[in-house]
Amino acid sequence: MKKRLLFLILILMLFITGCSSRKEGELILVTEAGFAPYEYYSGGEIVGVDIDIVKEIAKRVNKKLVIKDVAFDSIISEVKTGKSDIGAAGISYTEERAKEVTFTIDYASSKQMIIVKKGSTITSTNNLTGKVAVQLGTTADAFLTGNNKVDLVREKKFLACIQDLKDDKVVAVVMDELPAKELITSDMVILDEPLVVDSYGMVVSKDNKELLDVANTVIKELKESGKIDEMIINHSLSDKEEKEEKLTFYKRIYNSLIYDKRYEYILEGLVNTLIIALGAVVIGLVIGTLLAIIRNYYDNTNKLRLLNGFAKLYVNIIRGTPSILQLMIIYYVIFSQTSVNIVLVGILSFGINSGAYVAEIIRGGLNAVDKGQIEAGYALGLNYRSVINHIVFPQALKSTIPSLGNEFITLVKETSVGAYIGIVELTKASDIIASRTYDYFLPLILIALIYLVITYVLSKLVSKVEKRLNKNARN
Amino acid sequence: MLEIKNLKKSFGNKIVLKGISLNVYKGDIIGIIGPSGCGKSTLLRCINYLEKPTSGKIIFKGNTIDEKDNLEELRMKVGMVFQQFNLFNNLTIMDNIILAPVKLKLLTKKEAKVEALKLLDQIGLADKINNYPSELSGGQKQRIAIVRALIMKPDIMLFDEPTSALDPEMIGEVTNLMQNIARDGMTMIVVSHEMNFIKNFCNRVIFMEEGNIIEDGTPSEIFNYPKDDRLKEFLSKVKNK
Repeated sequence: MKKRLLFLILILMLFITGCSSRKEGELILVTEAGFAPYEYYSGGEIVGVDIDIVKEIAKRVNKKLVIKDVAFDSIISEVKTGKSDIGAAGISYTEERAKEVTFTIDYASSKQMIIVKKGSTITSTNNLTGKVAVQLGTTADAFLTGNNKVDLVREKKFLACIQDLKDDKVVAVVMDELPAKELITSDMVILDEPLVVDSYGMVVSKDNKELLDVANTVIKELKESGKIDEMIINHSLSDKEEKEEKLTFYKRIYNSLIYDKRYEYILEGLVNTLIIALGAVVIGLVIGTLLAIIRNYYDNTNKLRLLNGFAKLYVNIIRGTPSILQLMIIYYVIFSQTSVNIVLVGILSFGINSGAYVAEIIRGGLNAVDKGQIEAGYALGLNYRSVINHIVFPQALKSTIPSLGNEFITLVKETSVGAYIGIVELTKASDIIASRTYDYFLPLILIALIYLVITYVLSKLVSKVEKRLNKNARN
Repeated sequence: MLEIKNLKKSFGNKIVLKGISLNVYKGDIIGIIGPSGCGKSTLLRCINYLEKPTSGKIIFKGNTIDEKDNLEELRMKVGMVFQQFNLFNNLTIMDNIILAPVKLKLLTKKEAKVEALKLLDQIGLADKINNYPSELSGGQKQRIAIVRALIMKPDIMLFDEPTSALDPEMIGEVTNLMQNIARDGMTMIVVSHEMNFIKNFCNRVIFMEEGNIIEDGTPSEIFNYPKDDRLKEFLSKVKNK
């Protein structure tokens, strides 16, 4: 028992250290790629004005540029904890942010504009009132928070804001001028007067003076030579999608999947979802079985009191906190000082989470086995280990298969939370596509179907295993 | 061969055994009778520590049993047959029988299979080796359970109401097998309500009530010349059944 536990801990440690060596010679840029023309997906890559600028910086410090795509509100902590070197995502200067990280000089100015439907009663910044959509964590959000004339709807994406306006869920949207121009449909207008004007800077860690100096120099040069304006125009033009009001269904499929090889996002998402789910299932099973056996052993023999207490605590803590929180704690707290493959973090986090549930399922299964079976084993001189291995566990497994299947199906869907730390799994993939096509319907329906197929196949597999076990031994 | 010294057992506040002492000699066939709840099953289960005695000693072949030290050795040498058979549901009949001797390295898998077939053949169930317990009748299950205990070559066998869960027409096949084992010289302790078996095959009968041994004697002494009123009352009830 102890040996096995030690073995497991060793493997976990290898797993952690094996992926935590941060590579020298890499400049890690963290952004949220859904903010054209500053950063957006094109041809399977993240491109944009910010990317072009940071490429210059990377060249100057002679490092390879690595781009990470995370949720906007995670960018500051990414940079602060040193997981990324530089953050660039059209970030406006705020005092709060400046307490956490250092801003470079500004490289573009941003005008927060009000978008309304044509004929709206809102005609100027003075009479902005009612439900207003903004992107969570953006300048508009900060500026309007505390304004009691407006009822803020904080969306994760600009696109969702526009969709809200389209569906009359809000009366106005406040967002940056450039993406606003990209996103509005023919029944909307941008009011002339900006609500607030501020400027974008990049952020670096407070103790990275070296990088700050290089970044400032590069930005200054690019600004003075007019290169940044050029970039903005370039990306604004190249980012033009066909925005006819009525696309044929075929055209929508084409735009969502074929054009710019967008199906590749779905494939990548599918692969990541499957890898994370599979890895997490394995870790969950190992942890869960171990915990269940520790608790069963204690119940039967009164030994391993300490480990039993630990197992109880583990289950209580993990079951009692949201998995998204666990994911973030593992990523931003436990791995805060190291750069680590986010897919591995996903596997580990979801595996640890699943372990708690699997532990309870298996513990229940072990307890449900007739006590007479155990006594008969003991009476023959078999020890606890043989009794568990050959008699109790096989019988328990059979009765737990339906619940375990249920847990695995839940786990597959749970992986969608991984998008929060930037894992491109299925949900994130559809998000990326929608952020380019401004068409949520198709990618969302498509990935819903993919989830369905995965879980359907899984449930078929589970019932097949169940049938096979039942054929062998009927109680 | 087996010495029980001042054995006490309580479950919470309830005292089930109040200080039982008993000597079992090689070749003894001891029947334990008594009203339900008198502690006879608990006594049997305490002998191989399926219930941990609250106090007292079990001395088996000169060695005091110690839970940490030699418990599994004791259990290997003390066969037990349960009221509910307790065949392993997930294993075939063959695997049920050979699991323990193979795991405990008493026999190789091959030897165990040969031995199991021999024993099964004697009870006419050799054709069931690949069946699962759920496919057998109660009488068949109990006979297999006895074979499962026999293959361990025990020095003593404990029978805990082996026929109580059986349909009446199956009782005979199990008691017949027990009689055969008795004839071969096995030391046995039988808790049973089968008075005929006890009368005819035991050399010693113990009557228990409320956690105490009330009478201890030959079948003739117990059944024909009972001394204690409680025993007389018990016997009259059993006869009227």
